[in-house]
Amino acid sequence: MMGHMKEMNETLRAAIFDVFERMYYVFLEPFHDECSEYDVGSSIKFDGALHGELMILVSEELAKTMVQNLLGVESEEVTEQDIEDCVKEAANMICGDFLSKLDQTKVFDLSIPVFIRRPRGFREGNKACSVSFDAESGVFGAVLSLSE
Amino acid sequence: MSFNVLIVDDSHSMRSVIKKIIAISGFKMDQCYEAGNGKQALEILSKTWVDVILSDLNMPEMNGMELLSALKGDNVLQEIPVIIVSTEGSEERRKLVLKMGAKQFIKKPFSPEHVRKILYEVIGVGDDGTYEGNERDVESGDF
Repeated sequence: MMGHMKEMNETLRAAIFDVFERMYYVFLEPFHDECSEYDVGSSIKFDGALHGELMILVSEELAKTMVQNLLGVESEEVTEQDIEDCVKEAANMICGDFLSKLDQTKVFDLSIPVFIRRPRGFREGNKACSVSFDAESGVFGAVLSLSE
Repeated sequence: MSFNVLIVDDSHSMRSVIKKIIAISGFKMDQCYEAGNGKQALEILSKTWVDVILSDLNMPEMNGMELLSALKGDNVLQEIPVIIVSTEGSEERRKLVLKMGAKQFIKKPFSPEHVRKILYEVIGVGDDGTYEGNERDVESGDF
């Protein structure tokens, strides 16, 4: 079981690195303490060989950087709608990439991502793993929860 | 030769990124239409002709699979090449969308270079094996 959790954690990290480097040109550094300075987030549910939910948590400044780098716009041009759209799409890409890295032979159905303003950060419960990262412009976290 | 393109994705930012990649890839784009789901895409297609469709799979109201089915069931629209651009990466799903009529599958996250390569494969190569547009290399820094 512990080995399985470790694999999930490493796979989730790999998916996050891939999405951030390829789509947002942001390089993340692992951050070992759980952080609560998140301003926005998005959650997405998945169904298939595994059932669960992935929630991503982002500080406002990092979310702005993601939009700027993705769309090639200046900071003052970034709108609230851009941030919501970008964070939801990041959750979608990270979840899809994580699941295909975990097992490419299995089909998973993903829900439409939901945007969360002022997320409560990491919560206990049925969480399988959580990861935190630091970037030049802010912090990022992700929580994976599995259900029966 | 210039192309009419339809980008179908519920994410406005993703539609913008794909549009930018096409524009800087040297393809002569005439019109670029955008739709937030399959239903909106069909409304656009009822009024205008496009040369290629790039569509997401996971969308509200009418998803990419449903859009593919609708296109396949139409004698005229089934001729339009469709490239699926999705986060879903399973081999089974990929085979299914190709069987349903999609020409290619691009997995998100993607590199601009990969999108350009697939576009060339699907629409960009002329009879003599070259593309007539103003081709130039696409690097990440172009964004």
